[in-house]
Amino acid sequence: MNNRLTVRKIVIAGVLGAISILLGVTRLGFIPVPTAAGNATIMHIPAVIGGILEGWGVGLVIGLIFGVSSFLNATVPLFKDPLVAIIPRLFIGVAAYFTYVGLKRFNQLLAVGLAGFIGSLTNTVLVLLVAVLRGYLSSGVALTIAVTNGIPEAVVSVIVTVAVVGVWKRIGSGRQTSKVSRGVEGEKLDHRRAGD
Amino acid sequence: MREPFLTIRNLSHTYMKGTPLEHVALREVSLEAGRGECLAIIGHTGSGKSTLIQHLNGLLLPQSGEVTVDGLHLSGPKPDVKALRRKVGLVFQNPEDQIFEKLVGDDVAYGPFKMGYPLQEVRERVRWAMELVGISFDEYKDRPTFALSGGQKRKVALAGVLALKPDLLVLDEPTAGLDPYSRNELLNRIRELNRKEKMTVLFVTHNMEEVATLADRVCVMAEGRVAAEGTPREIFGDTRLLAEHQLGPPEAVEILHALHRRGHPVNPGAYLTEEAAGEILSLIRERE
Amino acid sequence: MASAFELTRNMTIGQYIPTDSAVHRFDPRFKLVAFGVLVLAIAFCNTYVGNLFALAFCLALFPLIRIPVGYGVSGIKPAVPFIIIIALLQFFFSGSIAPGGTLHFEYGVIRITGDSIRLVIVSAMRFVEVIFLSSVLTFSTSTTDLTRGMECLLSPLEKVKFPVHAFALVLTIAIRFVPTFAMEMEKLMKAQASRGAEFGSGEWWRIIRRTKDMFPLIIPLFNLALTRAEDLILAMESRGYVPGEERSVYTRYRSKGADWGLLGISLALAAVILWLP
Repeated sequence: MNNRLTVRKIVIAGVLGAISILLGVTRLGFIPVPTAAGNATIMHIPAVIGGILEGWGVGLVIGLIFGVSSFLNATVPLFKDPLVAIIPRLFIGVAAYFTYVGLKRFNQLLAVGLAGFIGSLTNTVLVLLVAVLRGYLSSGVALTIAVTNGIPEAVVSVIVTVAVVGVWKRIGSGRQTSKVSRGVEGEKLDHRRAGD
Repeated sequence: MREPFLTIRNLSHTYMKGTPLEHVALREVSLEAGRGECLAIIGHTGSGKSTLIQHLNGLLLPQSGEVTVDGLHLSGPKPDVKALRRKVGLVFQNPEDQIFEKLVGDDVAYGPFKMGYPLQEVRERVRWAMELVGISFDEYKDRPTFALSGGQKRKVALAGVLALKPDLLVLDEPTAGLDPYSRNELLNRIRELNRKEKMTVLFVTHNMEEVATLADRVCVMAEGRVAAEGTPREIFGDTRLLAEHQLGPPEAVEILHALHRRGHPVNPGAYLTEEAAGEILSLIRERE
Repeated sequence: MASAFELTRNMTIGQYIPTDSAVHRFDPRFKLVAFGVLVLAIAFCNTYVGNLFALAFCLALFPLIRIPVGYGVSGIKPAVPFIIIIALLQFFFSGSIAPGGTLHFEYGVIRITGDSIRLVIVSAMRFVEVIFLSSVLTFSTSTTDLTRGMECLLSPLEKVKFPVHAFALVLTIAIRFVPTFAMEMEKLMKAQASRGAEFGSGEWWRIIRRTKDMFPLIIPLFNLALTRAEDLILAMESRGYVPGEERSVYTRYRSKGADWGLLGISLALAAVILWLP
């Protein structure tokens, strides 16, 4: 994927940037799973997806949009510091892109999943690193957050990235029959599991 | 009048109350629909149609006024929205946008699974709903959703709502953006739901031909109010009303109105194409 | 409950309200610079008096752009709980970051110093001031003007081969599509709720299940966005759009005396904010 400027790159960056902003301003960008913060954010996922689909340049620009919008919408003083809010976000899509490109010859779906994982971890680690350097958090607190927040968030990121990119790029994931066509063994499953 | 299934009394709704962007969407709307009836709502964009139908399954709750569906009151402090959503199936504009599962069967089964039915029951509901909209269960249940045509996607989305077996089906511009073939096909399916499955149907449309072929009764909305209500015969027969609300009646009705204006003895209320043809034929025979 | 799905209508930040006040008619480039100057001044202001002055000034801006003060102030409502929680946390634990001043209280990690009290109050005030200022800017400037203004201000960067126009176009597309996607999202939430969806149910520890609960919203949203993108790409290419090419513009900004006046006033205010004891 070369990095020449194309209409496609401009438009995809804009559209995914819009989603990043939307997830931030409407608080839909949070999934209520157990983390230190009480939920995992998915606002960085457009940057990951942009990086996978259109290269590191697009990933970087979406990261910038995400950073600026999280800076403008910040309700926590930590993110009212542009160094914390913006700079780390630039690398999310870049890291995702290089992970994806490095691994895609082995397995497309695996590459996408790991790109989601690395992209999300890049976000957590760099934000916390800058926060420590700027004196907002002690390194112990940062490490705790990295583990309790970063890992669940990265898991969420993998699931969402694989689902979205898988559907869009039509990468199959194995299962070719719907739940309703499963036979007797399916019936033994209680309906809650089947509803997963 | 049939036993009322849906009753709306003096319903009003204002968006963003108390801000500079305040907008009144519904003013004192009253409306009734009998069990098994097919009711059409027509009116221009911004006339309050969409706001009205969102009150029918509790997506919006009445700010003032009452909504009652099959004995369930929506105006109390804690209305049972979940029970309501089992009774009322709401199909939005372009419902194919909401398909998210990879396989057709899974997407149709989403609602029944969420309602907690066991697999056996879910499978029967999915089969019933898919056959009802004209998609073969055995052939399509394992097909990927992205490979469907636009018309098929819309049918799948409709099946996803029907699988909940609602008593009242509400559709917002069900045929918008479909090709003429899929449009007719879908209209026939909706008519079957209404006539054979005895489902109460309420649909919003801009298309007067659809009103003519489907509806038992028509409600004309304008500026958040019910401007007129009656059978298609009454509404299409009222030239002044049609002109006032800039509603283009079906072509057949327009021809009859034109003939009527020229002094020919035809009945402009004969809104069905066959009826209109009969009127014109008898006119021709008279002249011969 | 009734408003649980009303995303678009309850979003006040970023809303342009055309009341046609004098502020609305200023050159957007100057408004942006003035905004930047004031935000910087507030960021560096550590005194009570300076922040009180800035707060009063921000509140006075609402009548100036013909927006009811109450409506403007309501923009901070969603942030209030966070401001309070963060203020409390800082109040108890930031003694080590701001150790100056008299020590009022110490117990374990809890340290309350004169400086930490001031830090808490001042940072909360600053935060509110910046929110008010951003609201005033977006209430009085359309997004088209904002991005065009930004593009003009960034244009010197073209000398170092930075694709300013492409970047501005990305921003324009992003801002243009936020309301569209918000409406689509609202429709999706309603449509899925109509077929029985509940978002975020299930045991709290089942991360995968809870994430998948969001699929009925997230997947169609991304699909819709990418489909829209394909349409837009086709439309732009078929109209012969080539990125990086020289192109003419429909509106050119021409600075008036009043615009320079705005800049002067904002610099003067910034100076006052920083100089107040």
